[in-house]
Parts: sequence; C-alpha cells; structure tokens
Amino acid sequence: MSGFGGVLPWARRTVVEQERWLSSEEFNAMLGICQIVPGPNIVNLAVCIGSRFAGVPGALASVLGLMLGPSVIVILLGMLYEHYSYLPAVQGMLRGVSAVGVGLIAGTGLKMMRNEFSFPPMLLVVAITIIAAGYFQLNLGWVVLIASPLAIFLGWKKAKQI
Amino acid sequence: MSALISLFLKLSAFSAIAFGGINALLPALYDLSVNQEHWLNTQTFADFFAIAQAAPGPNLMTVTLIGWHVGGIIGAVVASIAICWPSSIMVYFLQGYLNKLRNQITKQTIQFAASALAVGLVLGSAWDISQQINHSLAAFALTLLAIAVVILTRWHPLYLIVIGAILGLLGLI
Repeated sequence: MSGFGGVLPWARRTVVEQERWLSSEEFNAMLGICQIVPGPNIVNLAVCIGSRFAGVPGALASVLGLMLGPSVIVILLGMLYEHYSYLPAVQGMLRGVSAVGVGLIAGTGLKMMRNEFSFPPMLLVVAITIIAAGYFQLNLGWVVLIASPLAIFLGWKKAKQI
Repeated sequence: MSALISLFLKLSAFSAIAFGGINALLPALYDLSVNQEHWLNTQTFADFFAIAQAAPGPNLMTVTLIGWHVGGIIGAVVASIAICWPSSIMVYFLQGYLNKLRNQITKQTIQFAASALAVGLVLGSAWDISQQINHSLAAFALTLLAIAVVILTRWHPLYLIVIGAILGLLGLI
C-alpha cells in the first residue's frame, strides 16, 4: 500500500536498505528470477514470498493483498481524472509526475547495476540488453533470446569464480 | 462483452511474453494498447502511467487503469487478473524447481544471468518510455534529477513525486 512511485523502488528500499532482510545480492537474484518469468515482477515477487511461507494459499493471499487496496485508490483517481483532465493544472501535474516516475525506474535500475560491477564482464550483458530494448526497441521476447546465451555463459563463469 | 474478452485474451497473451516485469514491459504495453488495439491515446497512456506512479501500489496499476478505461470496474478486474495469472503460475513452479536444485553452480548461473538481464531490461525500458512520455527539455532534466536523487540519497520516492507534481502544477514541465 505504501508503494508510492511503483513498488520496486519501495520494495528495494524497505527489504534491503532499511530492514536488511535480504542482502543486495539476494534481492537482485530473487528479483532476477521473478523477471526472467514474463509478467509483472512485483506480482511474481509476491508469489515467491507468499508461497515460501504458505504455499499456494500464501501466494494467493499476498497477490490479493498487493492488488486490492491500490486498485481501489487508482480507480478513484481514474474517475477524478475523467472529470478534471481538461484542466491545464492537472495536465501539468501529471507531466511532472510521469517525468519523475521514469527517473525512479531508471535510478532503481542503476542501483541494481552496482552489483554487476563485482564481475565486470557481466556489464556487457547489461549493455546489450539496454541497447536492444532501449535503442532498437526490440520485442522483449527477442531481447531475452538474444542476450540470454551470453548471460548464461557469463553467469556460469561468475558462479565458478565465486 | 466482446471488448472484455478481447481485453482478457490480449493481456493474458501479453503477460506470457512480457519478459522483464512491468517496468520493462511499459514500451510493449504502450505499443499494444495505443498502436495496435486503440484502447486509448498516447496522452491518456502517459497520464495513466503518472496516476499509477503517484498512487500507492504496484505500477502495474497502469494496466488496471487501462482495463477500467475499456470496461469500467469489471474491465479493471479482468485486466488485472489477465496480466497476473500466466506469470504467477510460471514463477510458482520455477521457484519450486530452483529450491530443489542441489547443484549450486547451476543455481547461481541462473540467478546471475537473470539478475543481469533484469538490470538491462529495466534500464532499456526507462530509456524507451522516457521518449514517449517526456516532451520537453525540462521534463528530461526532471527525470535526470530524479535519477540522481535515487542514486545519491535515501529519500522516500514520495518526496520526488510531490516535487514533480508541484513543478508541473507551476507549468514548468
């Protein structure tokens, strides 16, 4: 519920920086698993955490808990939007918020990238993925297909080294 | 009714190929809902993204809002379920499989590889979607400022959202 600006920045901040439940490496790995599976990673994360503690019911409960409150709030905001979106002030606010929103996503991505410096060759995978997805705007399935052979090879090298 | 069925099928299929999570799938979601299906226009998409960012909760709420836009409350429920179920089932089984894996090297290889892909996908998506959403130099400057604050400080994201809203309200963005 308190996941302002999307849950990912908030989740990392709470789980890693404040509560220290998971190390930065562990968080990336868990999120990484949730991200190789297609679909919304926060929901996947809720499934992972929920099912670890209480199996299928736990997974269902944590997804429902994640979605219910925010859905109600966001639909109420949507209703306000339908009525007031013509106002220049509202349009300006939304422009400002979405510019910040993109920055939050990028900033969190850059923070996650810090871990990859422990094995610099892996940065090549990051660079290829960014260029394929960001510059060439390839379909996500293709990006994963292109980058994963090198990612798996370097992941194997990294695992042997540590 | 047919609009709801189309919404459910398209978003379910979309969820099954949308690698990299909701942040990474924003550009693809834009392509599907604006260019292909014409569920909404560019401006409404950008605004729904902003609302989902400003509101508490996961930013897959952008999808919930698109569903609501197409088919009211039922549309919102249909869209939310459609975007969640295929990946939830996959990750449930993948997690179980990884926990059973005895070979540490295999396990770590998968995790290291997935982690690097995740970082690249999130950054690539931010790059892509910033071009759809930001229309002025000031907007890009604000995005860069937000990046700097996220990296250099431990501010709560809400402060940045509020600053963005105020700057926008003053007509600066």
